[in-house]
Amino acid sequence: MNLVRAELERLSARRFVQLMVVLLALAFAVTAATTLAGSHKPTSAELSSARAQAAEMLQRKEDTHQACLARQNGTLPPGYTDEYLPADCSEVDPIRQDRLPIAADYLPGVFSFEQQARPLLYFLIAFLVLFGFLVGASYIGADLNSGGVVNLLLWRPRRLTVLGAKLGTLLGTVLALAVAASLVYLATFWVIGQTAGLAGQLSGDFWRSLGAIHGRGLVLVLLATALGFAIATLGRHTSAALGVAAAYAVVWELGARLVMEIVDARRPDRWMLSSHIVAWLNGEVRFWDNQLCTSSSGTGSCSGFYSLTWGPSLVVLLVITGGLTMAAFATFRRRDLI
Amino acid sequence: MSAVIEIEGLRKTFRSVRHGPRVAVDGFDLLVEAGQIHGFLGPNGSGKTTTLRALLGLVRADGGRMTVLGEPSPELLPRVAGRVGAIVESPQFFGNFTGRRTLRLLARAGGVSISRVDEALELVGLRDRGDERVKGYSLGMKQRLAVASALLKDPRLLILDEPANGLDPAGIREMRDLMRSLAAAGVTVLVSSHILGEIQLICDHVTIISRGRRVAAGRVDEVLAGHDRHEFLVRVAEPVRAAELLGAAELTAAVEGDALVVSGATDPTVISRVLGEQGLWVSELTPIRPDLESVFLELTGGGEHPSVPRQVDDWARPSGADDAVIDLDVRGVDA
Repeated sequence: MNLVRAELERLSARRFVQLMVVLLALAFAVTAATTLAGSHKPTSAELSSARAQAAEMLQRKEDTHQACLARQNGTLPPGYTDEYLPADCSEVDPIRQDRLPIAADYLPGVFSFEQQARPLLYFLIAFLVLFGFLVGASYIGADLNSGGVVNLLLWRPRRLTVLGAKLGTLLGTVLALAVAASLVYLATFWVIGQTAGLAGQLSGDFWRSLGAIHGRGLVLVLLATALGFAIATLGRHTSAALGVAAAYAVVWELGARLVMEIVDARRPDRWMLSSHIVAWLNGEVRFWDNQLCTSSSGTGSCSGFYSLTWGPSLVVLLVITGGLTMAAFATFRRRDLI
Repeated sequence: MSAVIEIEGLRKTFRSVRHGPRVAVDGFDLLVEAGQIHGFLGPNGSGKTTTLRALLGLVRADGGRMTVLGEPSPELLPRVAGRVGAIVESPQFFGNFTGRRTLRLLARAGGVSISRVDEALELVGLRDRGDERVKGYSLGMKQRLAVASALLKDPRLLILDEPANGLDPAGIREMRDLMRSLAAAGVTVLVSSHILGEIQLICDHVTIISRGRRVAAGRVDEVLAGHDRHEFLVRVAEPVRAAELLGAAELTAAVEGDALVVSGATDPTVISRVLGEQGLWVSELTPIRPDLESVFLELTGGGEHPSVPRQVDDWARPSGADDAVIDLDVRGVDA
């Protein structure tokens, strides 16, 4: 416990951590301020107009669908030229749309919490993932480099305990910070929505969906933190983690993806960590690959789509992070600290 | 006296893909007994710091046996770590922490009472500067802080690697006094340094390491005595003639300026008698005593370094002075 408290104090005293927290607060403040400045509470006239426009748009979609069905049935009036009608009418079926027009779509300059909460949360998670990775890497990297770990081992000559206390403290701190930051962040925008914008339809489903993204985002932040810590431990330097991340992005995500496209590899996105991150965060991600159709037998329809779901993607992320973390501990246990 | 540190046959080879293997310590032995202020000398790269790091579990030894306060190290080092204060090279501290906060942090991590912080700062003369940030400290102050961190535990064994680094003459004297007072209080001190005069002043025992092997060990005065060539500085009116007369008496004499350096005389009265009988009256007859620096340079700089591994204390052993060097067991093919 004493070790954890001491580590907590060391972690919070790190300039880099303080800088990242300031940047987080700054990004938060700028986003909130610009949102607040660019939004206003809609008047009842604006709301009425927006609702009318949304209803009109919905009606037009319905009309298009009906016209499409009429064409299929051969009852489309001759000379109908109002809309492009697809061959498959389900494509324009309003019921099958991801989302239908709502009043908020027709309220320019009005912040809608219901509409913006997801992208705002994604932005925060992206920042916290970066925060976790960099802080995790610099926390152990700087300590290994400066002799801080050696100093600590002279007091506590139990390597795994010391490294475990560091990682545990780091994960706990990052989790606490991420939870606090995201709650304050969402609450702030909720208040902006209530007072200077539009809250929207905040149903139980909305909160459940937002909560799920939040929870998955926090797991992702912890995984990124552990990954940064593990790579920096293996490489003995903060820069090792940064180098590995940059090399992975350039060599694999860009280079290998290009090569796979050239050689017409099937389902190339399933080999990319970024795909699994998105799948984990969204619950599912769909990709299109024309190779899937060209290699099919020719019978039946082929959409060319394939998907990655959160379960297998989580396993991939856990295996990579867990494997590297275990390797870091195993290496640190035997390493010469010179 | 009980052994506080025992190292037998320590071996360590660093392997590098780029540079290949490098033998850092090659069958090294060290014995430090309770209450000693034991100097640990060696040129840069001789294996001093590797030995200390291996002893403290920071470097994995390839072979050999080590004990600290009676417990095998590094296996059972955690049992005694609370009684061992150590600094290895110059430890780094957070620049934006104050000295006091730095020590509090370490005390907390090590489960030591916070009240020890002020005591340790007092011991190294930093009590009044304890609330300043470490980044504002001079090199010497940082070194004192490092020593203070080693003293926090109220150790029974203090291992200090180059504690005088960066200290000014006054600081070195304070450090010397501190070590003496700690030793007087029953603390065993192992101190490595390249400031040989300092070691000679502080330490009662010394071990010298060169190329990973022990080349001398024992009480400082005895190690020095072991390298006494029985030389005398002689001033006389006719040094050239005096040299001839002493040569005829089977003594070696070399003219150096207006004086003679005579060696091989166990009894200085022989010199004055030989010269006096020929009417040459000696105006000065001074024994030339070896100091630690000359012994150190002889053993580590110009000494032989046989390629076959062996315990090499016999270099340090003068003829007929077996008791001058402790633990003179000679191993290997040369034994």
